[in-house]
Amino acid sequence: MDKDLEKLVATHAADEHPPPAHVVQRWHTAIDDAAALERQHERAPRVHWHPGSFFWGVAVTAALAIGIGIGIRVADDGVPRGVPSNPGVLVSNPQPQVVPAAFTRGLQVHLRESQQQIADLGGEADRTALVLQLIGQNRMYELAAEANGAPKLARVLRAFEPILLQLAATDIAPEDAEALRAQLAFELNVMLTKLARDASDDTQTT
Amino acid sequence: MNKLMKLPVFVAMLALSGTSIAQSDAHNDADELKIAALEALISAPPERALPLANKVLAADNSDEVKERALFILSQIDDPQAQATLVRYAREASGSLQEEAIRMIGIGGDAAALAELGAIYSAGNSDVRDAVLEAYLIADDKQAVFEIAVNADNTDDFEEAVETLGAMGASDELRELRSRTGVSESLIEAYAISGDLESLLEVARDGSDADMQAEAVEALGIIGGDQVNAELVEIYRAATSEDIREAALDGMLIAGYDEGVLQLYRSSQSTSEKKELLEYLVMMDSDAVWEIVDAALEGGQ
Repeated sequence: MDKDLEKLVATHAADEHPPPAHVVQRWHTAIDDAAALERQHERAPRVHWHPGSFFWGVAVTAALAIGIGIGIRVADDGVPRGVPSNPGVLVSNPQPQVVPAAFTRGLQVHLRESQQQIADLGGEADRTALVLQLIGQNRMYELAAEANGAPKLARVLRAFEPILLQLAATDIAPEDAEALRAQLAFELNVMLTKLARDASDDTQTT
Repeated sequence: MNKLMKLPVFVAMLALSGTSIAQSDAHNDADELKIAALEALISAPPERALPLANKVLAADNSDEVKERALFILSQIDDPQAQATLVRYAREASGSLQEEAIRMIGIGGDAAALAELGAIYSAGNSDVRDAVLEAYLIADDKQAVFEIAVNADNTDDFEEAVETLGAMGASDELRELRSRTGVSESLIEAYAISGDLESLLEVARDGSDADMQAEAVEALGIIGGDQVNAELVEIYRAATSEDIREAALDGMLIAGYDEGVLQLYRSSQSTSEKKELLEYLVMMDSDAVWEIVDAALEGGQ
């Protein structure tokens, strides 16, 4: 026992934490799977969405959002701007309703900031963290859109997520990343213009 | 200049979008201009935007430009826009087809979404993924459920189940279990969708030891106080090493080092203490040094 502990202490002092063999094996399997996916990507010129990436992206995003609470922009009261403070109340209301102006304004801010962050995306390590942060924010606004009776906006926001997940991948080719950024920039611009138009129409009719 | 005032200029640009450009160097610039023009189209009334977007699609433009036109169509509230998207989802190929499918998801039109079933059946794996993505965007859980139920191979089934998990489709996933039995992909989907009740049922069911161990480990993904207490209880009640190990993996995933510490302190077995200590080291628990110190002192 003393010998084992000495070994353990020495290992820990060297900051090495060797995991059990079965855990290592699981990691290797995951890496092999990822490598196989990458090989598939190399064969196909276009970056494809894969349900698995979304599936695990959701897990990663949830962990980030819940566990470490990264980057979700919060107002003074701890609630993201434009997001309802009590989602449960709003979720339970299935009636079609006018989209609240406060939500629309919050969404416009979110889209503009997303646009800016995507345009400024830097190196690989930064990119992954930043894009995962964007996914967390996007998810909040998607839920808020549903809660505020704006299913069309919720669908568009949901459509951004698979693209963002592809962009977050560390093994994405630069030209693929550029294509995805261009696509997102276009779609964000269109949505911002549409939201501004709708807001302007509302102002003119009231 | 106001967006609406710019519109006539962009309309003129789009009207020229079918014109071929001889010099290849100019292609990128021309595409950028067309994309900017398409972007402005969202300001136009539908009756004006629709024919222009259709014109871009019919002309000899790059896929990138056409894909942007498809996005504009997805934002036009007009049955003709949906009809064009369905036609491209059926008849186009490659990225253009996949983008048209995605746009049907964004549009959320029930009739257009219904067309995707046949496109899924006839499509290759990329098309099938695109259809699943479209259903996910449209939040059409029933359609994905039907795909899972009717899947004739493991890959299609698993991808549909993963999509249901990402959609938080707990009811559909429970129904799938009653029809197809438990599988690894279903367990993962329960975890991702946060269906603790279903996961606990599998975790407590000893009829299939492999699936039970998978479920116990997956509990860690959900995490929380109830899961933490369940994992400790499962560990203590386990009759096999696999389940004990799965419970520890679950605690590792959930980051519940207090539970592992609790087990360490109550353990009377040296080999078990060793294993628990290894987990605490992996979890970077603050209690590790205290334990190491006590063990070196000859205590517990």
